[in-house]
Amino acid sequence: MSPGDILLERFTSMQLLPRFGARFSAAAIVVLGLVACGHTATAADGPKPRTGFTYTGADLCVKCHRSEQGEWCDVATTTAWRHDAHSRSHLALSSTNERTRAMEVTLGIKAAATASCVACHTHPVSEPAVEEETKLLHAGISCETCHGPGSGYVDPHIQKSWRFLSSAEKEAFGMHDLRNPVAKAENCLACHLGEVATDRVITHQMYAAGHPPLPAFEMEAFSTAMGPHWKRVWEKSPRIQQQAAQAGYQTEGASVLARSLVGSLVALKQTVHLARDYAADAEVGGEHRPWPEIALYDCQACHHALTVPSWRQEAGYGQLAPGRPSLVRWPRRLAAVAFDQAGMPTDVDALLSPVVAVLNTRPFGNAPDLGRVTDESCRQIDKAIESLARWHRDETLTSRERLAIERVSTSGRGVGDFESARLLAWALQHGLATHADWPQDVRTRKTAELSALLALQFPTPAYPRPPAPGKPFWQTSLAAAPGADIARVRGAFELPPASRPQRPPVIEAIPPPR
Amino acid sequence: MARLCRAASGACVALAALAAVACSAAEPLPAPCVDCAPGTAVPLPLAIDGTYPGMQPDALASAVGVSSCATVSCHGGPKAGNHDVQSFAFTIWMNDDPHAGAYETLHSPRSKRMARLLGLGEAHRAAECLACHSMQHASRATLPQEVLADGVGCSSCHGESSRWQQVHYLPEWKQLSTSQREALGYRDLGSVTGRVATCIPCHVGNGSLQVNHDLIAAGHPRLSFEFAAYQRLWPRHWTPFGKVEARADFTERSWAVGQAATLAAVAELLAVRTQQASAEMAAGRPHRWPEFSEFDCYACHKSLGPSSYAAAHTGGFQNPFPGQPSWQPWYVSAGRLLDAATAPAVVPGTRSVSASAVDVRRVLEADWSVADRARLERVLLEARGLQRAALLAGRELEARDRIVLDLSQRKLDAVVADAPPEWRFWDAAVQTLLAMEAAGGGPAALGVRRADQDSATRRALDELRESLQFPPGADTPEDFNPVRFNRDRVAVPFPATVQP
Repeated sequence: MSPGDILLERFTSMQLLPRFGARFSAAAIVVLGLVACGHTATAADGPKPRTGFTYTGADLCVKCHRSEQGEWCDVATTTAWRHDAHSRSHLALSSTNERTRAMEVTLGIKAAATASCVACHTHPVSEPAVEEETKLLHAGISCETCHGPGSGYVDPHIQKSWRFLSSAEKEAFGMHDLRNPVAKAENCLACHLGEVATDRVITHQMYAAGHPPLPAFEMEAFSTAMGPHWKRVWEKSPRIQQQAAQAGYQTEGASVLARSLVGSLVALKQTVHLARDYAADAEVGGEHRPWPEIALYDCQACHHALTVPSWRQEAGYGQLAPGRPSLVRWPRRLAAVAFDQAGMPTDVDALLSPVVAVLNTRPFGNAPDLGRVTDESCRQIDKAIESLARWHRDETLTSRERLAIERVSTSGRGVGDFESARLLAWALQHGLATHADWPQDVRTRKTAELSALLALQFPTPAYPRPPAPGKPFWQTSLAAAPGADIARVRGAFELPPASRPQRPPVIEAIPPPR
Repeated sequence: MARLCRAASGACVALAALAAVACSAAEPLPAPCVDCAPGTAVPLPLAIDGTYPGMQPDALASAVGVSSCATVSCHGGPKAGNHDVQSFAFTIWMNDDPHAGAYETLHSPRSKRMARLLGLGEAHRAAECLACHSMQHASRATLPQEVLADGVGCSSCHGESSRWQQVHYLPEWKQLSTSQREALGYRDLGSVTGRVATCIPCHVGNGSLQVNHDLIAAGHPRLSFEFAAYQRLWPRHWTPFGKVEARADFTERSWAVGQAATLAAVAELLAVRTQQASAEMAAGRPHRWPEFSEFDCYACHKSLGPSSYAAAHTGGFQNPFPGQPSWQPWYVSAGRLLDAATAPAVVPGTRSVSASAVDVRRVLEADWSVADRARLERVLLEARGLQRAALLAGRELEARDRIVLDLSQRKLDAVVADAPPEWRFWDAAVQTLLAMEAAGGGPAALGVRRADQDSATRRALDELRESLQFPPGADTPEDFNPVRFNRDRVAVPFPATVQP
């Protein structure tokens, strides 16, 4: 009997509660019971630690989510996911791929049996045991990779009362809150940048053996390219919006640009965390985590053409001694705009100066030193994130967005490296797409210009169009960088004056960071 | 010099008068040629310390700038006519020699940016820059700026001139031995050993003069020195008579002795760098290890696209594991070629140059990025081994009556077949070409040409050289293909061995 059949049987019999005993602790049932009785569970009940849940496999989810499930769930989620490149990520582990085969030969491994490959191409192996390894391996990055292992919530989440649980309560059942832009960014960046805790760290050895470079990751552009399989609350019907408001439903900040900015701050924090966590248990000359791990550093710090003048030297070195590799740099310029919007000092180099000082003591820095100096910098980043998280959808949105768009444009006019330029360009594109202060033709022209110069197009069109064959995405990123014309890129960020008059500034309305 | 003055005897007095007007007042005039005045007995009071009766005491300190050599009657004559080359040595230097612009380049926008990035203030006043870009003197720090502004001038190579400038044109000078001249500070540049030792401090580096990766990152070009090629490209401002040029094996000797000396210097530099890093580490101070300039530039500095230099390296990686850069292939390949072409005698109990170079590679590349003192000790040990091997090889080669380079295609094929991954580097290909040029003669357009050069060989070598140029606009060998290079190399009609 296949897992799908099991679930079908489960649904048809609708005897859900008796099954809880097998999967749930008594506390969870109490929580659920309270909620069902109209009580709101308080923080005192405390979310359970997110452990002990197992993967159930996407086949179970497909049973319901392949079609619209009424007003609350009116997206054919798994259909969208089928068109999403994530659903095919596991195919990259197959030795039938030329590139995978070459990497396997060079590294002397079998990709599908190697934890560090499987961790990102399916799900982190440090997560709990998998019921049927093969089944999950054949589903790529599926529902549970992002939403959390399903054994805890697969049954209760079909109850009507489920949607009125707070995100902390849902977390107790193992479901992650991806409406929170910070949690979502952390979730994506765990693979798209790296996370030590779940062993999702791409190494320089993997790159050298042929793994495509990880490009700059801009939350909104990548979400759109992925093909959203969700609707935000304000995109749903007024009746649902009203119900959601009554229930105190947490939703994402409405501003696309705000989410982009938060994404860049989370990415900035993650670059520091990644280095810190990696350094914490790095072994000098060891096998498991050798130090230094070159992939923690900016690709373009070394991998640039040696022409003079060059992108690299144009970009300058900040406080870093010339010739010393920096940590991953691409989040910095957009993060500086985010700091500006949060009313904080925008000099990211100054913020990270303790880290830079460590990198100046020797090329790559010493591991123990790097672990010590990151905390204060991260607290500052958290402050900015907190401030931006309060940037909600309201009447002041457009003026604030306009200010942010202008800042992104200014930053782009002084950009110094390819990946930073892409991050800014994606943010600018999204800002312009939703903002009418500039004439339509200007917005269209800028978007096209930046796309062409910086290879911003994704090869897989968004849902519901089927994936089109095209250049693999990686070929258009760093490979294009040496030939890029910095003057033209900077020029493309130039924005004409907005056609609508600026409304009164609202920057004073932003609560200062705590 | 006496002969020279006789040739120009009629004009001598007039020119000296002209020069007196042209020279700055601070510069002492050269003493009149002693044999110009007819009937004057040749005085012989020349003391070995370079002083003579009536000598001005301050001449000792001031006679160092190029202007003290530049008078028309001495070394600043016109290039036309059939004068001795020495009479217009300064003129050649001034007009054609890049060394004359060494100081000037410190005023270029690139130098200014470098100094700014490195926090050195003004490049043309920074001791770090002037160390190589101005007069090569121990007394440099006390020299006036206008002397430094000469760039790498006469006495940078010929030796500090305060003690010989006033006497080196006297007939007695000719009678002094090389060691007597050296005692006065005059360097012997008649031999390859003397010349290459003069070039190395700046063109390879030593403990105090280093082009490290900080400097390169800020914009300094990398150093890749091969003495024979540099010598060939350099506008010659001396007469070849009685010098190494007169030898039948001039180009071969320049290449072989030059490579041995260069490898010894490279090993010394590596040793000094490990010692410096180790000392800094022990003291808990910032250091520069791994020193990136010890590694293959294009291991990191390459486009990551599918058509990159790395992708041309069909057949896998050069190194034990992917992502690990190699020790400068420029030097490793030079060691291999030197051993193959000249087979220097190896003292029993020691390793050959190429084997020592591979030893350095092995320890340097394993955990290349790890800064660990025990590891640095091992690198130091191997670097000293290479230094010793190269010095011994250089001494043995220098003592040979005739150096013959055996670089037949069959020999080169065998060298490549011995360690194929090492010949996939662009650097190795260039070294191969330079060795072939030394064995078969220089390219047509450049300097000294050998009588026994076959013009077809020369043309083919020129074409091979052309094929190694970077593509237009690139500063990396983006389109280098080792397979293609080896094919083209075999196609060069190269003499099997050079006949004595």
